[in-house]
Amino acid sequence: MIELKDVSYTYPHTVQEALHRLSLVLEKGRCILVTGPSGAGKTTLCLAASGVLCHEYGGKKSGIVTINGRNAMDYAGLSDIAKNIGVVFDDAEAQMIFTTVEEEILSALEYRGLPPDEIERRLAAIMEVTFLSELKDRSPHNLSGGQKQRVALAATLALGNEILIFDEPTSELDEHATRRIVEILSNLKRQGKTILLVEHKYMHFREMIDTLVVMEHGAISAIGNPDDVLKDERIKRIVIPDFSGIGDNVSYAAPKSEMAAPRTPVIEIGHLSYSYDDVPALTDVNIRIESGEFVAIVGENGSGKTTLVKQFNRLLVPASGKVVVLGKNTRDCSTAELAHNVGLVFQNPDHMFFADTVKDEIAFGLENLKIENKDEIIDAALNEVGLLHAKMLYPRWLSRGERQRLAIACVIAMQPAIIVLDEPTTGLDGDEARIVMKILKDLQAKGHTIIVITHNRDIAKYCADRMILMEKGQVISDIHVRVA
Amino acid sequence: MSEILQYVHKDSFFHRLHPFSKILFIIVASVMCILATGIPFLVLMVIALLVIAYASHLHREVIRQLKLILLMSVVFIIITVLTMPNGATLCYLIPVGIPVIGGSVAITVGAIEIGLILALRFMVLIFAFQLFLISTQPRDLVHAMEKLHMPIDYILMFILALRFIPTLQIEGQRIHEAQVARGYNPGDGFIGKMRSVAPIVIPLVSNALLRSNVLGLTIDMRGYRTGTRTRVRERKFCTGDYAMMSGLVVTISGFAVMAVFASGLIF
Repeated sequence: MIELKDVSYTYPHTVQEALHRLSLVLEKGRCILVTGPSGAGKTTLCLAASGVLCHEYGGKKSGIVTINGRNAMDYAGLSDIAKNIGVVFDDAEAQMIFTTVEEEILSALEYRGLPPDEIERRLAAIMEVTFLSELKDRSPHNLSGGQKQRVALAATLALGNEILIFDEPTSELDEHATRRIVEILSNLKRQGKTILLVEHKYMHFREMIDTLVVMEHGAISAIGNPDDVLKDERIKRIVIPDFSGIGDNVSYAAPKSEMAAPRTPVIEIGHLSYSYDDVPALTDVNIRIESGEFVAIVGENGSGKTTLVKQFNRLLVPASGKVVVLGKNTRDCSTAELAHNVGLVFQNPDHMFFADTVKDEIAFGLENLKIENKDEIIDAALNEVGLLHAKMLYPRWLSRGERQRLAIACVIAMQPAIIVLDEPTTGLDGDEARIVMKILKDLQAKGHTIIVITHNRDIAKYCADRMILMEKGQVISDIHVRVA
Repeated sequence: MSEILQYVHKDSFFHRLHPFSKILFIIVASVMCILATGIPFLVLMVIALLVIAYASHLHREVIRQLKLILLMSVVFIIITVLTMPNGATLCYLIPVGIPVIGGSVAITVGAIEIGLILALRFMVLIFAFQLFLISTQPRDLVHAMEKLHMPIDYILMFILALRFIPTLQIEGQRIHEAQVARGYNPGDGFIGKMRSVAPIVIPLVSNALLRSNVLGLTIDMRGYRTGTRTRVRERKFCTGDYAMMSGLVVTISGFAVMAVFASGLIF
């Protein structure tokens, strides 16, 4: 059991409290799901509940954390607390230490003071419940996001603790991988484990949740039985992403009326194939995307979605077939030239930020393309994504949702006709995801062609005009979801 | 993507060896290649290592390093030619015909020989260490180093330094793509490389620091630093190890005998 009483915490070198007089009780055998906007203090709550804040972090602390009836401060250190609590963090890659899946789990088991037979028995059992038996000799670095997260989970289960804390275990995962994690956690709950889960995907986990907690600004703004909590409409919008009605108000008719004539294709893909070493990633793909369309590309991890969009700006060159962007074959252009026409926003915005201010970060792209009137364009782009107030801030200080919007601003400032986004709502709560999708719909109304890779079928349903479903490197279906 | 210096899971005689045998193997190889100055002998050592790599199905990984090694070899030879002229002069870098500066920088046989020796030693060291690292599971390394009474924190540091290589490799590639997609074109050559530093290295280091925080917590929460542990599936000394030991003893004796009676080959 974990109890937090009046816990406040301020990180070193900051003034704002990350947690503000927060009290929470996690009873034995229960499951609490914590959700809320990014920057609300959810990860800090995980660190507080696991005793990490008490032992490893500086900063200003007050309040009491009790773990299994004992004050967290009275434990000798993290290794001592780790005999009671297992924690799985969101970054699966950072939790891989060894070089094969089996070795990772076995190494964690070896420190529990168990007899060798018992270790072997538990190893087999853990591999079984986390569906890892077939992957036992694989290198963790070569696994998919979902598989890596299962390895991190398995290594934590190896500790055999009754209390488990999960910080966004499914944030980077697709539908299929998420369902696997849900299945594993449901089984753990049934075995009587006590679970504290920070997640944005409430709908996936609702069956196993006893208590739903919504956090905002470092404090709990709603707590209780999920059905009761969700009666509040404002809270419900945070917990469950709702994209309905986003596209309805957008004057999609505007670009349409201007182009009464047959639309011009902006991207034409003919018989495109591509493979990594000897593994085929795309096989005979044929797609024609027209100007002003909003296209959603959906499919499981490894279905070839990202490989496909990387062809649009020549990060990859077709092995066979052709990709024509605005009339030009990508084989004849450089990536830098194509950047004028195709803007690509990658899944993780942190892969691009290096400047000291938000303004300089956007200016980088403009300088590369030698675009004049930088200041005006930067202001316009920031205004578009609602970040004008953050112009002089350090990009990495922004919240996850704001960083995603900044990444979009960086690309729209370069004024490409085509904007491609890889999983733009990853790691965002309902409100933030809706804001991002609204921005994209507005861009579409201004005449941009929008292409979005997503696991989220709701986005495809409510925002896109067209949905392309990919599987094993092939286009399985290509349908118009809305009547434009 | 090919991973640099990472364990490659295969079943071969070299994989099955006890880490101690392999450590002894690299010590013997290192000492011999440092003592020896005969080019034929060093070439023989390189060939022997390649044969071992081939026999343990690791030749592809080892040969992949060849490009880097050849580049380093050329650099070694240039440095020795410029700084250590010795023996008969083959020719001059700047032909004698050119007025004033003509005839300077002599390319000598001795300098080329020293450069070659350094390059070959370098090859032996890299191949031997690489064979050791890619055929030994980090777990077995931890076991072996613990037995040698190394502090657990140093062992973990060693393992993690290796472990971060592929992570940085993959991450660097992604960051590069993200910046190129923003129209970034640093250009080729040395100036291009220098210019590309900030947009690639700053995100790479910032992300790695964030990641190392999670990694540190993971190590503590899994109890790796508490020490007491049950050893399972420990590598035992097997026939291969005894064969390796005998092989090493024969090699060392042969080396000593040749050093005394046929010094032309080794020195």
